[in-house]
Amino acid sequence: MGFEPIKILYAVISLFIIFNVGMLLNGITRKIGARVGRRHGIRFYQPYIDLVKNYALRSNISHGIMFYLGPVFRLTGGIGVYLFIPVIYGSQYFSNFSFAGDMVLVLYFIFFGTLGMALGAGESGHPYSALGIGRGLAQVTAAEIPLVIAFLGIAVQYQSLSITEIVGMQQGGIMNWTMVTNPLITVVAIIAFLGSMMRSPFDVVLAPQEIPIGPPTEFHSTFLGVLQTNRAIFPMAKTVLFVNLFFGGATNWGILILKAFILYMVSVVVGTVFPRFRVDQSIRWFYKYALILGVIALIATTFMFK
Amino acid sequence: MVNPIYIFILALGAGFLLTLFDKAGRKVSLTIFYAVLAAMVAISAQWLIALLGGSETAMIFTAGFKPPFSINLQMGLEEAIFTLAVNMLGLLSGLYLIKKFNATKVNAMVLFLMMIMGINGLIMTRDMFNLFVFMEITSIATFAMIGIDRDIKTLSAGFKYMIASGIASVLFLIGTIYLYRFSGMLHIDSMAVALDMASSQATLLAVFILLMAIVIELKPFPANGWALDVYEAVDSGVVAVIAAGSSAGMLFALYKITPLLNETLLLTVAGIGITTFVASNLMGLMQKNAKRLLGYSSIGQIGLVAGVFAMLVYLGYPINGKMVMLIAGGLFINHFVAKAGLFWLAGILNKENTEDWGALRKKPIYLFAFGAFILALVGLPPFPSFFAKWQMVMIFAKDNQFLVIAFILLGTLLEAVYLFRWLGKILESEVKEKIKVSFAQGLPVIVATLAVLGLGIYSATIVPGAGSLNIFYLPLLLIAALFVLDFLPVWVKNTLVILLMGFYTWQLLPGLEGYRFLFGVIFLVGGVILLIPGYAFKGKRVGFYPFAVMMYTGLAGLLIAENTLQFFTAWELMTLGSYFLIIRGKKAKPHALSYMLFSLGGAYAMLSGLGLFFSVNGNNLDLALLSSITESTSIIYILLVIGFLTKLASMGLHIWLPGAHGEAETDVSPMVSAILLKAGMFGLVVVMSAIQNPMIGNVSINYVLSWLGAITVFGGNLMAIYQEDAKRLLAYSSVGNLGYVLFGLTLMTHLGWLTSITYALNHFLFKALLFLAIGGVVWRVKTKNMYEMGGLIKRMPISFISVLIGIIALSGVPPLSGFAGKWLTYNVLIEKGWVLQGVVLIIGGLIAFLYCFRLIHTIFLGQLKDNHRKVKEAPLPILIPQVIFMFAIMFFSAYPNMVLRPVGDFLIKYFPQGAINWQNGVAFTAFGHWDGLGVLMITGVVFMAVFGWLLLTNRKTQKVGQFNIVYAAERPSRPELTHVGYNFFAHYRKALGVLSKPYAEKFWDGLSELFHSTADFIRKLYTGNGQTYLVHIIVFILVVYAFAMGG
Repeated sequence: MGFEPIKILYAVISLFIIFNVGMLLNGITRKIGARVGRRHGIRFYQPYIDLVKNYALRSNISHGIMFYLGPVFRLTGGIGVYLFIPVIYGSQYFSNFSFAGDMVLVLYFIFFGTLGMALGAGESGHPYSALGIGRGLAQVTAAEIPLVIAFLGIAVQYQSLSITEIVGMQQGGIMNWTMVTNPLITVVAIIAFLGSMMRSPFDVVLAPQEIPIGPPTEFHSTFLGVLQTNRAIFPMAKTVLFVNLFFGGATNWGILILKAFILYMVSVVVGTVFPRFRVDQSIRWFYKYALILGVIALIATTFMFK
Repeated sequence: MVNPIYIFILALGAGFLLTLFDKAGRKVSLTIFYAVLAAMVAISAQWLIALLGGSETAMIFTAGFKPPFSINLQMGLEEAIFTLAVNMLGLLSGLYLIKKFNATKVNAMVLFLMMIMGINGLIMTRDMFNLFVFMEITSIATFAMIGIDRDIKTLSAGFKYMIASGIASVLFLIGTIYLYRFSGMLHIDSMAVALDMASSQATLLAVFILLMAIVIELKPFPANGWALDVYEAVDSGVVAVIAAGSSAGMLFALYKITPLLNETLLLTVAGIGITTFVASNLMGLMQKNAKRLLGYSSIGQIGLVAGVFAMLVYLGYPINGKMVMLIAGGLFINHFVAKAGLFWLAGILNKENTEDWGALRKKPIYLFAFGAFILALVGLPPFPSFFAKWQMVMIFAKDNQFLVIAFILLGTLLEAVYLFRWLGKILESEVKEKIKVSFAQGLPVIVATLAVLGLGIYSATIVPGAGSLNIFYLPLLLIAALFVLDFLPVWVKNTLVILLMGFYTWQLLPGLEGYRFLFGVIFLVGGVILLIPGYAFKGKRVGFYPFAVMMYTGLAGLLIAENTLQFFTAWELMTLGSYFLIIRGKKAKPHALSYMLFSLGGAYAMLSGLGLFFSVNGNNLDLALLSSITESTSIIYILLVIGFLTKLASMGLHIWLPGAHGEAETDVSPMVSAILLKAGMFGLVVVMSAIQNPMIGNVSINYVLSWLGAITVFGGNLMAIYQEDAKRLLAYSSVGNLGYVLFGLTLMTHLGWLTSITYALNHFLFKALLFLAIGGVVWRVKTKNMYEMGGLIKRMPISFISVLIGIIALSGVPPLSGFAGKWLTYNVLIEKGWVLQGVVLIIGGLIAFLYCFRLIHTIFLGQLKDNHRKVKEAPLPILIPQVIFMFAIMFFSAYPNMVLRPVGDFLIKYFPQGAINWQNGVAFTAFGHWDGLGVLMITGVVFMAVFGWLLLTNRKTQKVGQFNIVYAAERPSRPELTHVGYNFFAHYRKALGVLSKPYAEKFWDGLSELFHSTADFIRKLYTGNGQTYLVHIIVFILVVYAFAMGG
């Protein structure tokens, strides 16, 4: 399954779908959050309005080249992660560009956008940006602990690093999903998922109350538009990845969107219910509970699937 | 041929007549004095030449009788060597003391002659009573010479000396009397034949008493307080004769009576000697007084020579055989020359405190001499003690004397601590005053320097396996030439070295195969590239090039070494060269010291391992036999690996690295970090490819090492994120990165080694790049503290791009080459199943993101400081290699198959299973796949598309000033207020708590403290009271008696 030019077209279509799903989910999430807090909340299509507004703003300021490129890195990272994941199992054309690498590539490509954005925000010279990045990176590395363990776990379980192969081995009913065959690893993965979704209790990075919007502080108008575009795509890319690895993947768009929605809602529910951790608390939490649970799960996995 | 008896006749005659000639003027008497000394040298020299040419040993019988009725002198090869050494010492010391001799009465000259003559007698006589007479002559003359400076200190020292030598004389006499009674003769050679040692306890006692007399004169621990006081108090010219010359005489006396000693007594001497060596070097740790420190070192070295000699004889090596000559003789002559030289230097400087010796820095020749003596005492190449020590370890290992080896190496290490600390202090200190060196005082030092070098080279030609050392001849010649040419400007020398090294590389590389080729590229091609920044330096850069070439000589030597001697010599040359490169850094002194000590410790572990290897493979030096040994495999493996891990700076053995790499000069840091660390890896590859999967019981050593590798990654990277100093951050990052290298090797699979090599190659590229870029920044902004920088992207854009490329490659983010290592890591973890180590390892890898960001953000992003507004881009010579390394990284990233496929091909030889399957540049393993070029292209296209979209939607962008930020409606005016840099990851430290504590440093600090306080406690023995010293001597004898004769 190598590269064919027609794949670009399908990749763009796939990206367009996932972008819209992400935008809608963002809106719905905010609505839910507001209702839980006894507020009326925004319209569910408000993110679209915000996005159009930001792209339409004319006044723009830049702090330098890296500042300018920061959002570009961020969105490239988001799109890249998505493009390296095979989206629909069995579909030649919606496998995106997964021929270029396996799940290790996806895992490490997540950092591409993060680092790029960090550089851009860094050049703005705003102390809040730097603080936000310091927190963000620290928490990301901690939250990656369960993620790495979960990835290692399923790689041991399926003796493969190829996402397509792993999805393939989960076909044939819910009993074959990783969620059922290896629940411990799945729990660890869900913890990692929560840690990476920038929602409570792990959202101190953007923490509107303490530091006005963290790393993106200085980004506005078009720059913010690009970042918002990424906020629709990137979480969806991660969600699709988890759906693929732990919940049997999807053979058509309907199933994919349904599974993604449910998984996404897990983070929304947790985020709405739990209060926020301070950054050192969240790091310690990952190093303590997530790590211990993860190691237990990993040992169990190696014994179960030897 | 002049009869050796003329040595005595001339000395005695001159002694009697000097007073007379002095009436004709001091010039006359001085002329005669030096003429006699010179004649003594000439006689010994002439005999040495004759004996080397094959002459018979000369026996001189006085008064026409045969022994035992006459005095019998002997002039054999040993005597010729010893008398020549002593007479040279006499001549040079005499010259050195010319001012004193001019100023004092003529008696001083007479006594000096008597002292030298006495020592000659000690060496040449074959008669027991005559030996006593010469002992007395030497003692009395020495006592008188001690008092050449008339003050209370020398007076008291002389008195204590008389107490000790009085006891020794009495014992000697008693012993002699009884031996005469038992054997009926005084002639030493016949006595040994006549005495039947086993039969009589009384005979044994007599020999014991005799032996104790000589042992006391050799200053055994702890009955040697008197000697220390003498060394400290007496004039340097005199003390040089006492420390080197008198000891030589007494050692020779020991040598002579050795046939009388039975096994127990030989072991006793060995025990006393080696204990003295360890104990006095331990006490030396706390010593600040230069001459007393040299005293400790002298006593230790004499103990070593005596102990090793006795041990060799005990093990059955013929007393005048080649091994005894090479080992004990080598150690002796090494000490003799170096110690005389150091005492002379002490007199030239005339500074009591070791910390005040900085004035040497103004005199490069004498600084060089000092360095040479120190290195000789510690036993580094190319000095005699290096080869002696090498051979000694081989021999002792062959005879399973590992405890002896361990003690001797411990003692050497302790000696290295204070000697290198001293050297470091000198190189560090501010030079306040100038010293003047007169010709008479300078010449002896220079002669000693040349002698110690010459003797070293001579040793290199006689040590077994010497022929193979010819690979070092040309490079050493070049190093010597560079020392001579050091007055040339830096660009000339740099060009010369680049050309020569380039040519050498050109010649050598194509002939190397497999991993040797790979390391050849890193060591030599990398080395040439990293010499380019040298053009940025102005002036002469004295002392840089000889040592740089020495380091590269060592590295190249490792590549072509075929036997263990070549390998170890290369290893030590490399260590030595790099030590002198590191110590050039302004604040690098303490770190260079710890680098040296860890390196030596590691080298000694390796040396022991090589010794054991020598003993189990049938006494063969061939390195290739490593794969075929069957005995003690695990122990050899562990010892060698410890040696290499020290260089690799694995967790626990890493504490020298951050300082040493962080404080080194701009171009030295990348050399030692990107290149030198790989020498440790090279060693591991050599050992691991030969000895596969060694076990201790049921535990695989490699499994244990894999955990060490993983913990090293975690610990190194974690410590890196807390650093404020940019270069230390990079240094800790190296610790972490080499953890991956170690981990990959321990897997012992095809993919594991490929992973390891990938990491090594990447680390070579990005660490050279990063150290150069950061070095360039530090060059301009004059600080290494990151929080003092900021916003430099606008001033140093090329350096910024370098760092950007470097950190992307380091962190392993696709699409750059660092990802290759990460991808391979996952594959090997699944393949091998060592996932728990994998978790630690990968978490460690994630932490690398933190310091990568911190590095680039705190330096280049954020707010530009006011004092950096006019900073220029780094100098061109520092930028050029960066561009080369950037291109190399981009090439590796786009075409990983071009690099990794050949590596995989030669790995098949060692690990045929599990190779990567390459299809058009896409790598496939049993588990996953990776298309380096594909990822690069996709990322590029997406990036361009998004960038295009942003440009399209973002029409009128306006650039704003530095302080134009949304800041609660304020406009900050001071960059310091808004540049977040200091203690950037405080929350991480808080979160990790106990994990963030530097345990290794605490451990080593504690160990060092333990040694120092023990030393301080033991040296309380030396009260300075003559009566106490007397008690020491008596108790010492009684204790030794209880041990040796108790049964």
